[in-house]
Amino acid sequence: MNAHTPKTHASGATHTADATTVEEGLAIQEEQAKFDSDTATAVAMQNTLLTPRFYTTDFDELDAVDVTPVREDWDLLIAQMQADPNKGHFRKTDDWDHVDWDGMEPGLRKEFIDFLISSCTAEFSGCVLYKEMKRRGSNKDITQLFQLMARDEARHAGFINDALREAGVAVNLGFLTQKKKYTYFRPKFIYYATYLSEKIGYARYITIFRHLEAHPEHRFHPIFKWFREWCNDEFSHGEAFALLMKTDPKLTSGVNAYWIKFFLTAVYATMYVRDHQRPAFHAALGVDPDWYAHEVFTKTSKLSQQIFPLTLDIDHPRWQRELVALQKANADLALAVQRKQTLKKWGAQARAARAFVSLLLIPSKANKVPASTRMEPVY
Amino acid sequence: MGILTKDVERHPCEVEVSHCFDSLHAHVKFTDGAVIWPGDEVIVKGPEIMAPYGHVVREQREAVIFRASKLERLWTRLTGDFEFMELCEFSFSEEVKL
Repeated sequence: MNAHTPKTHASGATHTADATTVEEGLAIQEEQAKFDSDTATAVAMQNTLLTPRFYTTDFDELDAVDVTPVREDWDLLIAQMQADPNKGHFRKTDDWDHVDWDGMEPGLRKEFIDFLISSCTAEFSGCVLYKEMKRRGSNKDITQLFQLMARDEARHAGFINDALREAGVAVNLGFLTQKKKYTYFRPKFIYYATYLSEKIGYARYITIFRHLEAHPEHRFHPIFKWFREWCNDEFSHGEAFALLMKTDPKLTSGVNAYWIKFFLTAVYATMYVRDHQRPAFHAALGVDPDWYAHEVFTKTSKLSQQIFPLTLDIDHPRWQRELVALQKANADLALAVQRKQTLKKWGAQARAARAFVSLLLIPSKANKVPASTRMEPVY
Repeated sequence: MGILTKDVERHPCEVEVSHCFDSLHAHVKFTDGAVIWPGDEVIVKGPEIMAPYGHVVREQREAVIFRASKLERLWTRLTGDFEFMELCEFSFSEEVKL
């Protein structure tokens, strides 16, 4: 795709990932676009409309956050994010091996493209959410953090988008001119959900990265080589949310501990169910989805001990059994919906609900949160 | 805004769509300071905004805000939290089978 010789710009940058100013970045993109429009006309691209979600929250509450209790850690983290160690990383280098899309087994190709599109949508939605928080807030610490996180998410989305284009999939950003509804999250729910999402994202990416380091023969696409730096961004975003939660002990105690348990269970269970819907993808990676789930849960639980007052008992005898039951109920539910079998649908829904409640009722393990929150990515 | 009735408002906005390698994003900013509340719906008027690859497109447009009724706003505030799973990234779409 980048077979043309790019023009070198003022600071010597030939790639947008290296550009130091907006003008320079635009000029580089301009060059690339000339080449690109030729390619686009030559290849019939499959068009995929991105459909991110839109949220509002209590912006006054967010503005009232005072990071003074964690100021030292906070400033360090922000400085690290501002230094932007991953600038220039998300670009194709010689390590980007040729991808034989046409030779890829159709089932795998379908699941892998689904993986790329949904990853891209997730990064994109994160970007929209963070940008909105940045724009509506007036607390300098908060707006600065969200601006930096929006930058990273947009960068990741751009990188995945590039991989998709190579596969002949064009992402359509035309959703703005469609009617979209804004839903609402309380700030604390945004903390719990995004904190977990960033940390589990880190655990997922790094587990795949380490697995492929040991088994390079399963690396069927070069994007996996970029997973380590990618997930380090996720890691620092998670750190920021951990510090935000640290500013107010009420967020992680009392009735909120039950919310945290609910979030953990829902997030782990959803991941388990969704991963088991993609057998070809995991087979190609040489990963057993049950092993993978347990690895990711173990890492995420370990990480979340930095701020959550409890961890789930993922070695409890009921844990795996109920996850399997939930996955089975979910698959039956989809089948019943497809075949319009109302009774079977209700039955499957009841089984899924029972399995989820049973997971939720497994006693959790208490955790004594350390005095210092900050962690480094070590996996 | 009534308890059950919706209001429709028009506001100027700036749309920025970036379809670049180092940033894929799309944002709408109301230039008159209009604020979105839970349950409101927004549509940007005019043709689809398509940024060719490698381009950032900025346009002044008009947006229509369909204000949620008081009841709907309250409902969205009470129930919106339960849609939190959408914030979680599992790298897969919701399709059970492909």
